[in-house]
Amino acid sequence: MATAVSTPRRGGTGGRTAVAARARGVVKAYGAGETRVVALDHVDVDIARGQFTAIMGPSGSGKSTLMHCLAGLDTVTSGEIHLDDTEITRLKDKRLTQLRRDRIGFIFQAFNLLPTLNAIENITLPMDIAGRKPDEAWLRRVVETVGLADRLKHRPTQLSGGQQQRVAVARALAARPEIIFGDEPTGNLDSRAGAEVLGFLRTSVDELGQTIVMVTHDPVAASYADRVLYLADGRIVDEMFRPTAESVLDRMKHFEARGRTS
Amino acid sequence: MTILKTSLRNFLAHKGRMALSAVAVLLSVAFVSGTLVFTDTMNTTFDKIFAVTASDVTVGPKDAPAGESKPETGKPDSLPASVLERVGAVHGVASAEGGVSSQSVTVVDGHDKNVGAASGAPTIAGNWTSTDARSMKVTSGHRPTRSGQVMVDADTAKKHHLAIGDTLRTITAGGDFSARISGIATFKVTNPGAAIVTFDTRSAQRELLGSTDRFTSINVTAAKGVSDAALKRDVAKALAGSGTYKIQTQKEAADANKKDIGSFLDVIKYAMLGFAGIAFLVGIFLIVNTFSMLVAQRTREIGLMRALGSSRKQINRSVLTEAVLLGVVGSVAGVAAGVGLAVVLMKVMGAAGMDLSTQDLTVTWRTPVVGLVLGIVVTVVAAWIPARRGGRISPMAALRDAGTPADGRAGRVRGAIGLVLTLVGGLALYASTQADGAGAASPFLGLGIVATLIGFVVIGPLLAGVVVRLLSAVVLRVFGPVGRMAERNALRNPRRTGATGAALMIGLALVACLSVVGSSMVASATDQLDRSVGADFIVQSDTGQPIVPQAQAALEKAPYLDHVTRYKSMDATVIAPGGTVKKHAPLVAADPSYASDLRRDTKQGSLDAAYGKNAMSVGEKYAKAAHVKAGDTLTVAFAGGRTAHLRVAAVTSDDGVIDSGVMYTNITTARRYVPADRMPGNMIMFAAAKDGKEKQAYTALKHSLKPYPQYTVRDQTDYKKTLRDQIGQLLNLVYGLLALAIVVAVLGVVNTLALSVVERTREIGLMRAIGLSRRQLRRMIRLESVVIALFGAAVGLGLGMGWGTAAQKLLALEGLDVLSIPWPTIAGVFVASAFVGLLAALFPAFRAGRMNVLNAIATE
Repeated sequence: MATAVSTPRRGGTGGRTAVAARARGVVKAYGAGETRVVALDHVDVDIARGQFTAIMGPSGSGKSTLMHCLAGLDTVTSGEIHLDDTEITRLKDKRLTQLRRDRIGFIFQAFNLLPTLNAIENITLPMDIAGRKPDEAWLRRVVETVGLADRLKHRPTQLSGGQQQRVAVARALAARPEIIFGDEPTGNLDSRAGAEVLGFLRTSVDELGQTIVMVTHDPVAASYADRVLYLADGRIVDEMFRPTAESVLDRMKHFEARGRTS
Repeated sequence: MTILKTSLRNFLAHKGRMALSAVAVLLSVAFVSGTLVFTDTMNTTFDKIFAVTASDVTVGPKDAPAGESKPETGKPDSLPASVLERVGAVHGVASAEGGVSSQSVTVVDGHDKNVGAASGAPTIAGNWTSTDARSMKVTSGHRPTRSGQVMVDADTAKKHHLAIGDTLRTITAGGDFSARISGIATFKVTNPGAAIVTFDTRSAQRELLGSTDRFTSINVTAAKGVSDAALKRDVAKALAGSGTYKIQTQKEAADANKKDIGSFLDVIKYAMLGFAGIAFLVGIFLIVNTFSMLVAQRTREIGLMRALGSSRKQINRSVLTEAVLLGVVGSVAGVAAGVGLAVVLMKVMGAAGMDLSTQDLTVTWRTPVVGLVLGIVVTVVAAWIPARRGGRISPMAALRDAGTPADGRAGRVRGAIGLVLTLVGGLALYASTQADGAGAASPFLGLGIVATLIGFVVIGPLLAGVVVRLLSAVVLRVFGPVGRMAERNALRNPRRTGATGAALMIGLALVACLSVVGSSMVASATDQLDRSVGADFIVQSDTGQPIVPQAQAALEKAPYLDHVTRYKSMDATVIAPGGTVKKHAPLVAADPSYASDLRRDTKQGSLDAAYGKNAMSVGEKYAKAAHVKAGDTLTVAFAGGRTAHLRVAAVTSDDGVIDSGVMYTNITTARRYVPADRMPGNMIMFAAAKDGKEKQAYTALKHSLKPYPQYTVRDQTDYKKTLRDQIGQLLNLVYGLLALAIVVAVLGVVNTLALSVVERTREIGLMRAIGLSRRQLRRMIRLESVVIALFGAAVGLGLGMGWGTAAQKLLALEGLDVLSIPWPTIAGVFVASAFVGLLAALFPAFRAGRMNVLNAIATE
């Protein structure tokens, strides 16, 4: 299975497509000739709007590269990526930056926050950079949702790892991006703090209709998603809907066993 | 050995950062070695010229000062021609020749243009002797053989487009005389700029000395096998009992000549060393900062080395080894650059009329040794503190999360020490303004300056916190979130910001201080001119030569004048009734009209009375010290004249810079005791126009002085302008210092920012990922740079203005009684600092903008 393309559907709101992001024939290769390494090998994928998608795969499978390409952080060697109706593979750096600023939210594994800014300044940073006024009501709701109301004036160094990631989640949500990308957002957290952050992500999808794509190698984290894509050697090799931690783990064991025997 | 290897590797790994620090070392060393090369070259040049221009033994009049003699009578001291015969008869003399030489001359061409050097080098008129033949060669025409002929040196001929047949007029105190150029002589050695005119011996004697029976020197050539010293002894023996003469061997004459120009060389030397000093001072900050950053950056690595068993000492030594490497690289390049700098300086001097040949370029062993030792020692000393800090890193550092170094909070102890120092300095500055007498106050001023400077450097981090916040509130808020982030970034490591700003601070403090003093000098002098000078016009020579009688006569004949005042500085020893002896007393003989030309307050008596018969005035300070009051009689021994007993008719107030402490007497009084030919010329003259005829009088005066281009007449407005220009020239040197300090400080800012950018790679990546555009990123870094530069400028200018004000208050007693802060200059420098910040950020901002977002995020 080389593709994870779902049948295009029309969504219920505002006539926007039900697909938030779409990749077609995406190839990402490094180097040339003998040393050429293919990180993504003709990947087709649709990210459904209002859904929580997890991308899984072993190290070097290309899962982070795929996310970076979808998020407009990295360029592709060939193929097309659309964010809603915008083809981002052709955009210049300046437009890409604007696109990331206005339409995409990010949560990284670590070092998500600027140490010089306090929590609320970090949360509103993308809007500040854009020169936009945050929607106060929405901001309050987001802050309350992630439970940070009493920590807004704290600097990142005064927050625990879990709190820092919650600030990152709040930042990603605050600007109401079309899509949020998470790069192992719970990778540095203990299981309790991780569950908390994942819970917020889940809530934001269910209650706020947010689209989220998350790269992870943790079956428990993946079980919070609506859909799990499996990557291996730069290709999408499987997908799973409504995963549980056990089913994800089983599937992974299966791949690993196959990987060892083949 | 391994330490050397790691040090070398580390050194090479941080080439860029090291290069910036090396430039600081290079600049400092370059100025020191440039100074050495330049002065050595000057010495070589003058050694060469004096070696050929002095004969084996020279006999001169006893009182004649060597070299640049400009006697105030306008006529050189001379000896009778009979001495020549007696010297010629001495055993061991191969030849003796009478020389005539005068520097109290001005030579003008057919258009009344002065052909003398503009650089301050003398015009020397004399006869052509065999000594001249040793240093010069007649290259066209022939040497002067009879009256009405003159020979000029080739450099002067070329500069003023003179050719054989042109007429030159020579102006002396004895009158003017003209001669046609009969020949042109070229120097065989480098002539640093003197204009030389020679006549036949009789003409030279008649016109320059006023008698064909006199010489200014007897130039003796020794016979084969007779040493200069032996000859000198024999000549002295032969002349014993017939008056006293100054007899010098060639070496003695050359040394005396050299000593004379020494003071001129010293000015250049000290200016250059000032540059070197400031470069070193600012460079030290750059080096300290560089090594601090290197140590901070390697905290983890050093921790690991400590964990693996390296001792503190080893870490310490490895950092210092890097410092030695830096010092060696910077100093070697610096010595080379210094030679280049000396050549450039020689060219600059050439443009100013002082010709130096690169053939004489002298690099002694002293130059590289001093340069290297100084460069290396300063670098190692500057790296000492960071090295110690590196040694103190605990092995635990290896285990801690790297990331960006935690916000360095300015230590409380440090703050306290800095505050105490600043306070002590402030008090000392205040004390210096309260003390009476500059002598008592200047140690306080010195202490105040040093203490406040060190204090400010120590509390730099605290100041950075306050000042950066303040500046941001005014400047950065305009730039929204980018400005805010720039502010936070500048504040996140106050110690670093403080040290970076301090480099700029020192330079600007110096500039601010000197420009306040300079500006106060202009303001005070202008104020005093307005208050006290009643004369409409001031006439003086630009080179300090007295005004010759024929020029004086021309002035006195000019129409529309109410009066002309003569002013002569007398050389006299004054003895008070109490026995206090004052040698070389500041006694001035002037016309009575001077009392209205320069209004002075009197403490006792009236100034007009001081111009009465056998009367004089004294300054209040002298009066106090010598216990003299109006009505007392002073014994005044005039040099070259008789002793007079003059009554003190007035005690003048010593306020003001003009004629401060001067004693006045009437010219008529002085004449009574000093023979006419020993009477000094007028150092300066004043004139007042008839009411309402000021304009006409000015034109008339200018016209009457046309044949005498060496003198300038100025009305009060022009005089003030000249004063301003003179101080302006002094300030130009200060701005040169500023430029140098800024260059080094910019390197520091570049260094700090470049490191900050590297340290914040991940942050930058994150910001770029969430939508900060390249342009915003670059602007953020530029703003950070600007705010650091403005911090340094604000603190430096503030500090400097404080110093300048204290200095003015201290010097108020010496006549610097008006405080003038040159706000336009201060504001200009402040604004320029912002541009300096922008400039410094160019490269780091460019680099940050080029950073790949993904790499930035991925950096561990």
